[in-house]
Amino acid sequence: MEEILLEIKHMNKKFGSIVALKDVDLTIRRGQIHGLIGENGSGKSTITSIAAGMQQATSGEIFYKGKPWKPTSMVEAQRHGISMILQEANTIEGCTVAENLFAGQEDQFSTLGFFNTKKLNKAADDLLKKFGLDFIKGKDIITKYGFEERKLIEIVRAVTDETEILVVDETSTALSFDGRKILYKLMDQMVAKNKAVIFISHDLDEIMEHCTILTVLRDGEIRGEISKEEMNQPGSIRKIRELMVGRDIGDQFYRSDYDVSHGKDVVLEYRNVSSNNIKDFSLKLHKGEIIGIGGLSGCGMHEIGRMAFGLEHIDKGSVVCGEKAVETPTQAVHLGIGYISKNRDQEALILNGSINVNIELPSLSSLQKHSFVSPKKARDLVNEEISLMEIKCESGNQWVNTLSGGNKQKVSFAKWIAKKSDIIIMDCPTRGVDIGVKQSMYRLITDMKREGKAILMISEEMTELIGMADQLLIMKDFKVKKTFMRSPDLKETDIIEYMI
Amino acid sequence: MGKGLNKTWLKAHLGSLLSYGGLVLCIIVFSILSQGGLWSAYNIRILFQGVCVYAIVSMGAVFIYSMGYMDISVGAQIGVYCLLCILISNATGSLLLGFLSILCIALVCGLINGYVAVMLGLPSIVTSIFLNSIFGGVQMLIMEWQGTNSISIEADMSMFKGTGSMVAAIVVIAAISVYLYKFTPLGKYVQGIGANETATKLCGVSTTKWKVIAYAFFGLCIAVGALFLTARTGAAGKGTGTGYAMDIMVALLLGGMPLSGGMRSKVSSALIGSFTYVILTNGLTLAGVETSYMYVIKAVIFLAIIVITCRKKDGILPR
Repeated sequence: MEEILLEIKHMNKKFGSIVALKDVDLTIRRGQIHGLIGENGSGKSTITSIAAGMQQATSGEIFYKGKPWKPTSMVEAQRHGISMILQEANTIEGCTVAENLFAGQEDQFSTLGFFNTKKLNKAADDLLKKFGLDFIKGKDIITKYGFEERKLIEIVRAVTDETEILVVDETSTALSFDGRKILYKLMDQMVAKNKAVIFISHDLDEIMEHCTILTVLRDGEIRGEISKEEMNQPGSIRKIRELMVGRDIGDQFYRSDYDVSHGKDVVLEYRNVSSNNIKDFSLKLHKGEIIGIGGLSGCGMHEIGRMAFGLEHIDKGSVVCGEKAVETPTQAVHLGIGYISKNRDQEALILNGSINVNIELPSLSSLQKHSFVSPKKARDLVNEEISLMEIKCESGNQWVNTLSGGNKQKVSFAKWIAKKSDIIIMDCPTRGVDIGVKQSMYRLITDMKREGKAILMISEEMTELIGMADQLLIMKDFKVKKTFMRSPDLKETDIIEYMI
Repeated sequence: MGKGLNKTWLKAHLGSLLSYGGLVLCIIVFSILSQGGLWSAYNIRILFQGVCVYAIVSMGAVFIYSMGYMDISVGAQIGVYCLLCILISNATGSLLLGFLSILCIALVCGLINGYVAVMLGLPSIVTSIFLNSIFGGVQMLIMEWQGTNSISIEADMSMFKGTGSMVAAIVVIAAISVYLYKFTPLGKYVQGIGANETATKLCGVSTTKWKVIAYAFFGLCIAVGALFLTARTGAAGKGTGTGYAMDIMVALLLGGMPLSGGMRSKVSSALIGSFTYVILTNGLTLAGVETSYMYVIKAVIFLAIIVITCRKKDGILPR
């Protein structure tokens, strides 16, 4: 057994009356990629954020390199070798990449009190090169880069030569295939240097592939530890899922039928649409059909969804719904289109608002009678959705920012179900959602198809597209590379080659 | 568990507790300081005269502040409307015509505020500065053209002077505001725009249209407010309306309105705030505080409310 790097003993954490961690014991050894897995709110991030100095435990002890460890801030933890890459974007806007990378260390770059920007930019470029990110330049303003590149910049900032333990918290969901490769390579390098990585992810496949040991959490308690050998045994995935959810959820995860029939009516049609990089895109979506669009982030698939909701400027052609061209979101909603954005917290939800408001907002226009909206009708509508979607909350008055990720996503689904939209465009519908919720979402989508709703499902997860879609388009470089029909024989490996 | 629930309840209602508490505190403190003078029949009349304009205009302003917008052109607008109302009614002999014409101008301004700002992609504060300058200029021009320091109204405005009619006006405007805010989509939409404009837009809400409607209602309130101000003073001049923009902002803050708008916005903020503000000003006068000190006291109170109510996470300051 390798040397113990970090040891957590009897850790408890309470937020008011809510217990986040219950008597947790965890040992991190050198040379390991230690996976943490569990549903939303099971305490994964709480453990790591305490070890990385973001918050303090209510009770319990931590030993780091054999000595008691009680960091008071992230800076202190980072200086002693525990770095964390967070779920949310964490870069300073309006500054350059170099300034972001060396924030807090500006002193090294000044001569006689004058700040040497050249030196700073040079150092940043060298550092980026070391990580294989030559395409990012130190002198550029950070906002020039997209979400993914910024995430990579954060990674570069977090990892230094002194880093002993790297915490990767749900970072990979924000990264595309290439970005993930860089992250995995970095994790392997850490292991090669006999350091340790704590890897938190919702993606079971990803965890199984990269971790050397896996700890499963549920409701703030450790439910099991699984070694690499156990992971390689058949049936291990089902066992892990059972540990996570606390019950056997069975093999039935996606749609079970292979019936690709759908209604005759075309409800949404792209007629030779050109917009920015996308040229001449055509597609017909029928009543009761699920069309999946897959590819890597940046292949243009998100734009396809946005076009049908009037969110992209269309240069040529048109997106037609019921013989009317869709030009604005207002029109789109009126025509019965619903859109679940990939950027849930920014675009899909009013975080500082109640569940009531979030669910009823699109429906107000149909609830009103001569501009009068009955509060009772609105309340009933919301309560119906809360019980239908099984949203875990005290009441509809609870604010959305107090809900867990999975429940937030349920709210953004519920809006359009309440509105009774016939066409639903979902962009990464199960992003950052744990498997229990995922399963119920897939069931819901299957029911929606049966009810005759048309669904455009855009996703980076190939398995869910294979599992759910009637027809699957694979995009690369803003073009459709290949179309697959639903089939039990379709495998992820068949698809990958058209994506990259 | 009961304790935890209490805590969350307290947290959710902290804003209302502070604003209601402030009003009660003001009433108690000044009742004592003025030795009951606050409650004399004469003073009650004065109080309602003061509250009337503030309450009416600030109830309209609630719809704008809910969206996280600010308006600093209110004062100048009130000034011009008072002048125009007097001029037109003096020239035509019809007060109704005077009022209708300022109502029209107010609605057009609402359109400019809502629509033009969106078309040109300007923040609302910019159009508000623009309107403030324009109206300030117009007010100067009218006075120069008239060649006097103030113009008096000839029409009989006694029906707008009585305490009863002022209370009735407040009640009517309050009823309309509450109806619009609670029982029509407008209220939810303006709150949504304040809390997350993109998400609101993606719910299929035509934000431009509802902004214009909100500003139009605001315009209506300003016009009614200007009518009552004209009735009270009987004349208007260069200084009419000065300071109103700031006063209304302070009144709304006192009433617990978050300046960043959003879901914690309430119509009641306008009413509570107006009463608190007027009682505060009136009480200080009764207590013998000199007018020159009043500004300093108001400034300190303004700062204090912001410090107390501004929590880091959902701050009350506009973006």
